[in-house]
Amino acid sequence: MKTWSSSRWKKPAQGALLATTLVLGGCVSVPYADDVRDVRSTLGPRWTPEVPVPALTGEAQRGEDIDAAVKQLLAQPLTADSAVRIALLNNRDLRAAMHELGIATGNLVQASLPPIPELELELSKPGGEHELQLGVGVEYSLSDLLLLPQRRGVALAERASERARTAGEVLSLAYRTRLAFYDVQARRQQLELRNLALRNAQARYATAAELEKVGNLRALDLATERSAVESARLAVAESENGVQDAREALNVLLGVFGAGTQWTVDSLLGDPSDALSKQDGLEARAIESSLDLSTLRGRMEAAELRRKLAATEGFLPDVSGGVSGEREDDRWQMGAHIKVGVPLFDRKRGERISALSSRESLKARYEATATAIRASLRQTRFRVESTASRAKHVRDVLLPATRKALEETVLQYNAMQLGVFDLLRAQDNVTNAASTYVDTLLEHHRARAALEQLLAGRHEGLELAPTRISAAASGSGSAPASDAH
Amino acid sequence: MDRREFMQLGALAGGTLLAGQALAQTSSNLAPVRAEKPRIVAPGGQVAVVTPNGSTLPWKNVRGVKVGHLVAMPVKHTFAPGLEVEAWGYNGSTPGPTIEAVEGDRIRIYVTNRLPEPTTVHWHGLILPNGMDGVSGLNQRPIAPGETFAYEFTLNRAGTYMYHPHYDEMTQMALGMMGMLIVHPKRPRGPRVDRDFALMTHEWKVLPGMRRPDPNAMSDFNVLTFNSKAFPATAPLIIGRGERVRIRFGNLSAMDHHPIHLHGLYFEMTGTDGGFVPESARYPETSVLVPVGSTRVIEFVADEPGDWAMHCHMTHHVMNQMGHEAPVTVGANARTIDQHVQALVPQYMTMGQAGMGGMEEMGMPVPTNSIPMMGGKGPFGSIDMGGMFTVLKVRENPEAEDGSGWFAHPKGTVADKADPAKLAADGIDPDVHFG
Repeated sequence: MKTWSSSRWKKPAQGALLATTLVLGGCVSVPYADDVRDVRSTLGPRWTPEVPVPALTGEAQRGEDIDAAVKQLLAQPLTADSAVRIALLNNRDLRAAMHELGIATGNLVQASLPPIPELELELSKPGGEHELQLGVGVEYSLSDLLLLPQRRGVALAERASERARTAGEVLSLAYRTRLAFYDVQARRQQLELRNLALRNAQARYATAAELEKVGNLRALDLATERSAVESARLAVAESENGVQDAREALNVLLGVFGAGTQWTVDSLLGDPSDALSKQDGLEARAIESSLDLSTLRGRMEAAELRRKLAATEGFLPDVSGGVSGEREDDRWQMGAHIKVGVPLFDRKRGERISALSSRESLKARYEATATAIRASLRQTRFRVESTASRAKHVRDVLLPATRKALEETVLQYNAMQLGVFDLLRAQDNVTNAASTYVDTLLEHHRARAALEQLLAGRHEGLELAPTRISAAASGSGSAPASDAH
Repeated sequence: MDRREFMQLGALAGGTLLAGQALAQTSSNLAPVRAEKPRIVAPGGQVAVVTPNGSTLPWKNVRGVKVGHLVAMPVKHTFAPGLEVEAWGYNGSTPGPTIEAVEGDRIRIYVTNRLPEPTTVHWHGLILPNGMDGVSGLNQRPIAPGETFAYEFTLNRAGTYMYHPHYDEMTQMALGMMGMLIVHPKRPRGPRVDRDFALMTHEWKVLPGMRRPDPNAMSDFNVLTFNSKAFPATAPLIIGRGERVRIRFGNLSAMDHHPIHLHGLYFEMTGTDGGFVPESARYPETSVLVPVGSTRVIEFVADEPGDWAMHCHMTHHVMNQMGHEAPVTVGANARTIDQHVQALVPQYMTMGQAGMGGMEEMGMPVPTNSIPMMGGKGPFGSIDMGGMFTVLKVRENPEAEDGSGWFAHPKGTVADKADPAKLAADGIDPDVHFG
């Protein structure tokens, strides 16, 4: 684990910001494009998703180009990557986050400006035959000028912290978009499977009805099958709600509404992969790239600089000086003065205590966060591996086993050892195994996205909770009509 | 496309027709051995017992004692082509070889145990020294695996008997350990017979796809056999017209008696495992109930030539691996069911909505190691029976028969579609309605 060190706080982007300061010193505009570039450069080495980070647009306002790009992407069936690209282009919360970085940039610019000289003009008319007297004085706070680099340093550190936080927001958006997309995929697949289960229940009921009609089945069995159909129908309705919920969650992240919500998805959840989790040194990578830790480091640096600034202010007399001229009797009398405020009573002790406590608090939080990141990395890595293993087991063992059981049930049916209801239950087992596969795949993709998120530098907001989204009441587990007679 | 065409297509697509193919490929192997001229083995011209699908224990004569050897052992046994099981038996077969001797013989039978558990042999129905009776724990200690015991006694009473274990008989008999034991009288009794057959009836539970009979079964027996063979693998009994025939039935089934019914003739029961039935007590019959743990001997003269069915009259006993878990579909509209189920399981086809007849001809793929519930080749199509079923072939020249041919009916002696003119002449309206 890398320890906190003030030397690591130096930012390579200081020069660019200084230039920005100078440029913006005269005229005012939103520094959106520069902030985006800065965030991109921050994300660059961390960005592991397939979507190129330049998809994060530098346009301060939504433009026609952006709308066209979003429309073009929405017109095609969505993929996880295209969904992320749309979100980067179009999500308003992300735009808001970028503007919040602009606030910090503005603060930095402001803190970089030298103090303003104070000009004093004095007109007086003593009366009588005395002429109008003119006095001119200029006073400049030397203390403020001396403290300028330190104040700027504080603002610089605060902006660096904000930049890391904003970069984290970008990662978070990409992550949440990816999760939402997987959720849509999984729920669509589950809906298809629930429909299949419904058709199975309907087939059992139709068979039972036919047999009951000709006197071969009890009314009880028919009623049981009817209840199974209705349970399965309910499961389909729940599943439809699930799909709609998932679509709306993704719509929010994509920032679309109206016609923009008519996007389609035609791909299935991908096969499991655990290649990434097999790599070594992932914990160190997660710590190294952590934007959460970068944010904390920036805030720690700012707190430390605030403490130093307060200390300097507490011991530095408030010095200002100036020159003055007074015109009297057509003559200018020139003079100079210097003012020294002695900090006898206010030596900024309170500010120093506050800044020091803030720094120590952040340091403790930094260490706690690092510990949490390591734990999350291990947990996520295990989840990726276990879900991949489980998904492969379901795909390669359980599903074939249920299909084989179905084939054997057909043979046993042909041999009149089992009945049509047994056959349909065996088919339902295949559907349920497929449902388990979808659930497990979803859990795997969520875990994998979380692992990528951790390695990209974002720890906050990870979602690793078990994700069982299949409808509980599939109708397949209901009491069967008796095959016996 | 009708139901059968569909199923034939399904069978082609679905893979194997193991049982059907096996039956077709090996039907020639199923033919009974060429009928031999009856051998004389006992005084008075008493003919040797024939055990269809079985064998007779060979003797060595050692200083006046007939010495034989039974080896109790696991056996791979085929009930009918397509259904092979891991059974237990004697000398490589189930039932074991028929033991055949003559009243007054002293016999010594060595029994070697190659089973994984102890065993004994009980000589069912014989009167003998108590220590030779073969009840484990009561009369003897059990024969441990690898040991060989000697049983020796004199056969004092002619009759039809059996042998079987009396140690863990539930398992050992359920797996096939049994055999017939015939003692010919020293002096023949009654009319001389020309043919003498031994048939051991038995019942087994072998679910389709399994390879070992279930010894825990107390019901649901689904393989019913004569000499451990199920139709169509049962060897027919070939006899000559006018010959006097004796059939000895034994029953070591676990739970069921078997009413054996003969077509085309009547008979009299002449013996049990208790002895001979007095002539005054005999009466004509066409079915004989063979109770569990008993033998029954019948005798008859077959006057009418032909291929005559002989079978247990319990209808499920003439089925192979009959299942009864499926719902009854008789009367149901198969199309309604099919359209729903086939959408999910394309291989599915509703069966039995018009009854169960002709199922075997559908040729549906079935589990490995299983055979159709019924069906064997006959001269007019499939014989819609199985299990405890065989054919009595009454022929003018039985020695010329190998059992694979069918009776040639004289013209006009086979039931067939009625001539409409004759129907009308006889005042029969086939479209008449009742109720």
